[in-house]
Amino acid sequence: MALFSKNPRTLFLAVLVLAVILPWIPFGPSSNYLLRVLTTAVLYMILALGLNIVPGFTGLLDLGYVGFYGIGAYTSGLLAIHYDLSLWVILPIAAANGALWGVLLGAPTLRLTGDYFAIVTFGFSELVVLFLRNELWLTRGPMGLPGIPPPSIFGYTLTQGWQYFYLVLFLLLVVLAVVVRLENSRLGRAWFAIREDEIAAQSCGINLIRYKVMAFAASAAIGAMGGAFYAKWFRFIHPDMFKFWESILILCLIVFGGMGSIAGTMLGALILIPLSELLRAVLPQGMFNARYLIYGLLLVVMMRLRPAGLIPFQLSRSRKAEQAKARLLGNEE
Amino acid sequence: MDALLKVNTLSKSFGGLLALKEITLKVEPEQIVGIIGPNGAGKTTFFNCLSCLYHPTGGQIEFKNIPLAARISNIAKKRIRIFALIFLTLGLIRLPLFWSFFLPQTFFKVELFLLGLFVLSIRFMLVRGLLRHEIWAWGLMFIFLLSDLCFAIWFLTHINLSDVLILAHMPLYYLTVPWGVVAGLFSLYFTGVLCTGEVRRIYGFRTSPDAVCRMGIARTFQNIRLFFNLSVLDNVKIGHHGRMHSGLGKTLFRTRFQKEEEASTEKKGLQFLRFVGLEHRAFDLADTLAYGEQRRLEIARALSSGPKLLLLDEPAAGMNARESENLIRLVRKIRENGIAVLIIEHDMKVMMNLADYIYVFDYGRLIAEGTPDAVRENSKVIDAYLGGNSGVC
Repeated sequence: MALFSKNPRTLFLAVLVLAVILPWIPFGPSSNYLLRVLTTAVLYMILALGLNIVPGFTGLLDLGYVGFYGIGAYTSGLLAIHYDLSLWVILPIAAANGALWGVLLGAPTLRLTGDYFAIVTFGFSELVVLFLRNELWLTRGPMGLPGIPPPSIFGYTLTQGWQYFYLVLFLLLVVLAVVVRLENSRLGRAWFAIREDEIAAQSCGINLIRYKVMAFAASAAIGAMGGAFYAKWFRFIHPDMFKFWESILILCLIVFGGMGSIAGTMLGALILIPLSELLRAVLPQGMFNARYLIYGLLLVVMMRLRPAGLIPFQLSRSRKAEQAKARLLGNEE
Repeated sequence: MDALLKVNTLSKSFGGLLALKEITLKVEPEQIVGIIGPNGAGKTTFFNCLSCLYHPTGGQIEFKNIPLAARISNIAKKRIRIFALIFLTLGLIRLPLFWSFFLPQTFFKVELFLLGLFVLSIRFMLVRGLLRHEIWAWGLMFIFLLSDLCFAIWFLTHINLSDVLILAHMPLYYLTVPWGVVAGLFSLYFTGVLCTGEVRRIYGFRTSPDAVCRMGIARTFQNIRLFFNLSVLDNVKIGHHGRMHSGLGKTLFRTRFQKEEEASTEKKGLQFLRFVGLEHRAFDLADTLAYGEQRRLEIARALSSGPKLLLLDEPAAGMNARESENLIRLVRKIRENGIAVLIIEHDMKVMMNLADYIYVFDYGRLIAEGTPDAVRENSKVIDAYLGGNSGVC
């Protein structure tokens, strides 16, 4: 463990190798099911990383994240059905569409502070669901969107569970690279400054609206990309999949893992999503919905014992500072 | 040489309460200027006006001969009002003609959409210092004229012109087509002028706090406002934000430019920390610093934005004698680097030692100014601090 905490790159590589060989460990008949659970967990890791940018980095409560997820999913589904585009075309288009709506929603409303902004985002996610449900000409409304063709990569169509798992893993790596780069840059520092103290941030030359909109757009783009993968993977989408509760679930993941810390966010998703499946197996037949009760209980216990999450923001920052120290002092010697 | 900062009859009122009244003040380059005064004299309000956190109700601030927060001049105001009134009246006159005779429902929708857009932008415009009724006049004008343009376009694309011209009884409302073209274009032009920087020169729109910082005024706060959950070095790097140039694209692709900029920012940050004597704490969280160190970190953060003028709001508050001596040395060192300092302080020893020139505030008014020695002897200042005859009776 000591080796890992000193060198996060070693830990990262170890986890990555584990993830890559995971589909090939024989679990018997349930291995397909396990793969599905893992793919879901990784998908939620992507979503949590995306959402983390707004409440975690910038300090704005966003309750409408699932709206962007839905936009991405429907963009991907519709493009795949009507134009039969390749996955590598669909993913950027979906992300761009998400970012576009992020900017359109963010630019006028990010002047609002705190709770008012949260209400606006909540309204937005409801609007997206209403739109998907009612605009039959585009989305087929409550009938859902069946028959999305499976993704094909270089002419090779994905069918097996492990192929999807590798795909989502690849997407996670891309998103992780993006988020890590953003975090350690001028942009990320501006977001942290806004989160810590808006007035001081302004006085340091940071244009609040501009950076808030950027955060919102980046978060929306990642959410939409997650949605695009989801549509291609599940091959059927329905407005009810993008209800408000999904937003709360993703928010729970990052609160549980540690708002603002990238490792914490991923850990939160990795623990809570499979936990739900575990509870499905453990709980008796009729009590299946009690798992949300257990979720709630877990969060309450968490808030009492470790209010800043599994890996708190402060901890991740001080670790980062230690790394910077090692790097800089190493250079000087 | 021209003064760095010129403040001319600056006033600020909150509702009916007059916090600042006609303050006139000047800071030369590389000068240390002090502001003293009893509590509630409006010193911090004055700083907030300078850094554009507050919007002054009257007067002008010029930094490097650029106006920061000038109000709209009276002539400009009149011009706005006349334009707005003319077009508003014409718009209202054509309203019944439009809506009752022939207007397809879509145009009603266009006008409603524009109205919504306008209502959304009201706050945005209010911030920029226009009066409420002017905004309404301007906005309604914009809506009417733009929908006229929309109508004209629709008309030209949907109606067979040769049929219309042959008609003996040409309806009156066909006249709205040329009108729509002229009015719409004018409205677009007017709005364009409103949105460009040219307007700031003419009408004196407000500069935002971040723009002020990038122009070269940095400040510290009376109650410490650090980014407590970030490391000390990160705090200073954030201060350097306005001097960096890598945006989203450069960050995502981590170009060479971005890497070099990060490295040089890091190096500069450490230099600024060395300057204020905090280098040994560079990698600790700002939360863990002692009070005096936090004050110095705030100064380092302000310096890293590369200012020409530094505003210090009670930097020596809560410091012991040795610490405030260090502070005096630090401020002198800052001045030697070519930065003017405007400083609010209650500690008279610090002030008399440091300042080249002192302004004394009381109840939002400037009651005295001069060199430290002159201010010390000034009877008005003594009255304000100790309570003279006028205060007792």
